[in-house]
Amino acid sequence: MRKIHLIAMRELKERAKSRSFLLMAALGPLFVLGLIYALFSLGGSEKQHWNVLIMDKTEIMDNKIASKKDPRFTFHFINEFVEYDQFAELEQFQEYDLAVLINEKIISNKQVIVSYRELPSENIQQRLVYHIERRFEEIMVKEFTDLEVSKFREIKQSMSFSFKNTYDPKNEISYKAAWVGYVFGIGILLFVFLFGMTILRGVANEKSNRVVEVLLASVSPRQLLTGKVIGIGITALLQFVLWTTVIAVGLYVFRQTFFPDLLDPTLLVEQMSQDVAQQALDEFALTARSYNDFVDLVYRDIHFTNMLIFFVLFFLGGYFFYGSFFAMIGAAMGSESDGQQYIIPISIVLILSLLSGYYVIYHPETMLAEILGYLPFTSPVIMMIELSKGFSEGTVWQIYLALFILFLSSIILFGVAGRIYKNGILQFGHRLRFGMFLRWLKKT
Amino acid sequence: MLELDGIYKSYYRQRVLEDVSFSIPSGQIVGLLGPNGAGKTTLIRIINQIIEPDKGHVSFHGKMMTSEHLKNIGYLPEERGLYKIMTVEAHALFLGQLRGMAKKDVQKQLDYWLEKFGIQSWRKKRIEELSKGMAQKVQFICTVLHDPDLLILDEPFSGFDPINVDLIREELKEFRAKGKTIILSTHNMKSVEEICDRAILLHEGKKIMEGQIMDVRSEHKEGLFSITFSGNMIAFATALWAGYEIVSKEVINDTTFTVHLKMRGENEFNDLLSTLIPAVKIISAQEVLPSMEDVFMKKINAGKEVENA
Repeated sequence: MRKIHLIAMRELKERAKSRSFLLMAALGPLFVLGLIYALFSLGGSEKQHWNVLIMDKTEIMDNKIASKKDPRFTFHFINEFVEYDQFAELEQFQEYDLAVLINEKIISNKQVIVSYRELPSENIQQRLVYHIERRFEEIMVKEFTDLEVSKFREIKQSMSFSFKNTYDPKNEISYKAAWVGYVFGIGILLFVFLFGMTILRGVANEKSNRVVEVLLASVSPRQLLTGKVIGIGITALLQFVLWTTVIAVGLYVFRQTFFPDLLDPTLLVEQMSQDVAQQALDEFALTARSYNDFVDLVYRDIHFTNMLIFFVLFFLGGYFFYGSFFAMIGAAMGSESDGQQYIIPISIVLILSLLSGYYVIYHPETMLAEILGYLPFTSPVIMMIELSKGFSEGTVWQIYLALFILFLSSIILFGVAGRIYKNGILQFGHRLRFGMFLRWLKKT
Repeated sequence: MLELDGIYKSYYRQRVLEDVSFSIPSGQIVGLLGPNGAGKTTLIRIINQIIEPDKGHVSFHGKMMTSEHLKNIGYLPEERGLYKIMTVEAHALFLGQLRGMAKKDVQKQLDYWLEKFGIQSWRKKRIEELSKGMAQKVQFICTVLHDPDLLILDEPFSGFDPINVDLIREELKEFRAKGKTIILSTHNMKSVEEICDRAILLHEGKKIMEGQIMDVRSEHKEGLFSITFSGNMIAFATALWAGYEIVSKEVINDTTFTVHLKMRGENEFNDLLSTLIPAVKIISAQEVLPSMEDVFMKKINAGKEVENA
C-alpha cells in the first residue's frame, strides 16, 4: 500500500503542478460561469423600466394606478385614444414603451388592449396586468359594494387551480430536468476522456523514457498501474472540486450582485403597499419563477447535493472502467506515437455514450433505454439523467444496481488491464497490432 | 550470496534462457557477458523480480528470493530514464522511498553522494536541465542511495565521458571493498578486465563459460609470447631458427623491436630466453594472455561453428 501511495502522490504532485492542470482549473469553471451568465443575461436582458401610457378616455381610473409605485413602471394618463400608427410614429409618443387602451365599457366588457414597441416578458406582462386589475378592483368595490377595499381584500379568496397530467401526476417527465442530468453526464464523460488520456500519455511516457524499468525493480507492475490510476483519479477529483467551488461561488455572486431579485419575491413586494403584501407575495412568486427558465433550472430545480454525490460515484466508476482501456493502450504502445489509432474506438464509444443520453431523454420508456442504464459504457450518462428526473418510489435501487454493475465491470476490466500492462510495459520498439492485446492477455 | 538454479524462460515458444545456474559470493564484481540477444537483460529482470522464470529459482543470502529482498538490491538498467520535470532531490526521495528508505535517510544519503561527486548545486535542478552524462550520474546515485548489498548494473558506462567512467569504476571498487556484490552487464571488455573478478558468458540463453577473469584468460592462452629487444632483427631471427614461429613484429625505432612469437615442439619460455640472450639485448619478455574480447569472440564463434556443423 505504501508503494501505491507513493506512486499516487507522485502522480498527483506532477499533474497538480502542471500548467495544463492550472489552466484547466482556472479557465474551465470560468468558461462555465461565463456561459451561465450569458444564459442568465439572455433571460433578464429586457428593459428594466417601462414608460406606460394609459389611454383612459372616460377617466375611470382617475389618473391613479397603485398606492405605491412600482420601480419598473412609470404610468402616464391621457383621456383620449391614440391610434396604433400614431403611437408608433408620432414624436410625442416615442417616450412611451407601452400603450394601454382602457375600453370605454370596461366595467361590463373588461376589455384592455396593450400595444407595445418591444414585447415585454411574461413577468412584466403579469406585473402590468396585476397593477391594472388591482386598480379596477378598487373602482369596482367602490362602485358596487359598501365595503372598504381592505375589507374586500380580506374576504376575497383566490382559488388555486392546478392541472395535472393523469399519466404523470407528479410531473416527473421533464425534459428540462433530464437535460440537467445530461449536462452532468457530459461532464463525467469529459473528465473521463481528459484524465483517461492522461493515463495513456503517462504510461506511454514512462515507457518511452525507460523510467519504467527502474520503477519495476522496486514495485510490481500492478502496484505501479494502480498507483498511477489512483493518482490521476485524485487529480481529476481535485480538478472537479475546484470547478465545483469556483462555480458555486460564482453562482452565489451572480445571485447577490447581478440578479438580486431573481428568486426573491419579497424584494418586489417591499416596493409595494404593505396591505397587499401577502397576496402579492403569492402572485409574485409566480412571476419570479417565470423570470428565466435557465435561472429556475440552476437555482431551483437542481438538487446539487444528490447530483454531485452521484457525479463523483459515476465518475469514479467510469474513470476506472474507461481508464483501464487507456492504460492497456499506453502499456502496449511500441513507441510514443504508436497505437494512436486505438484511441479512436474508445472515443467512438464515448461519443455513442453521449448520443445514448440524448436518445434516453426522448425515449425514456423503451427497453433499450433501460438496458443502456445498466451498461457500464453508458450508465454514467443515463443514470445522471434518470437521477435528475427523480426516481419514483421503489425504483431507487436501479441507480445502485447500475453503480454496482459499473464498479464490478471496472474491477474486472482493471484486472485485464493489469495483465496487459504487465506483459506489454517492457516491450519496446514494436508496431502495435490488435493480436498483441490477445497474446498479452493470455500470457501469465 | 546470490544463487541461480536452473533458470528457464521462454517468450511465446521462443526459449530465451535455458538451464542457467551460477552462484556469486559476496565482495566480488562479476561481469555478465554475452552478445545481443543472449538473455542477459532477461536474466537481470528475473533477479530483480520484474519477470518470473518459467522454471528454476533465485536465492538471496541463502533464502528463496522474495520482493522483500529488493530493498537490498540496486538496479541500473541499460534503458534507463528519469522523470524529466522532477528535480534531482524529488527523484531521490521518490525512488529511495520506493526502496523502503525513510525520508530523512534519503536526504542524508543524497547529501553524501552529491558532496562526493561535487554536485551539490544540482539538488534542486530538474532532470530536463541536466545533460545526458549528468542525468546518468543522478541515476547512479539513485541506484546506490539505499546502500544495497547487491548492485546490478546494465551497461553502466554508456553515456559517460572517460573521466566519469573512471569515477564510476572507482566507486564500484570501493563498493567491492565494503563487501558488496556487483553484477556488471557490459560489452566493454576493457572494463571487465580491469574491474571484474569473475565473468559469466551467456550465448543464446545458455551459460557457456564461467570463471575468474585470470583463469578464463589463462585457459584460452595460445602460447603467444611478446619480446621487446634492442639489437639486430636478423640476429634475432637467426637465433630463433626453426624452434619458434614469428607471428608479428613491430618496429619501435632503428634498433628496438617488439616481436610476437609462438613456440614449436617442446620449447618453453626459459628455452626462448636462453636462445635470445646471447643474440640481442632483451628489454621485456612475457607471455601474452588473450584479452577478454578475444575470449568472448572465440567462445561465441566456437558456439556458432558447433551450430553450423
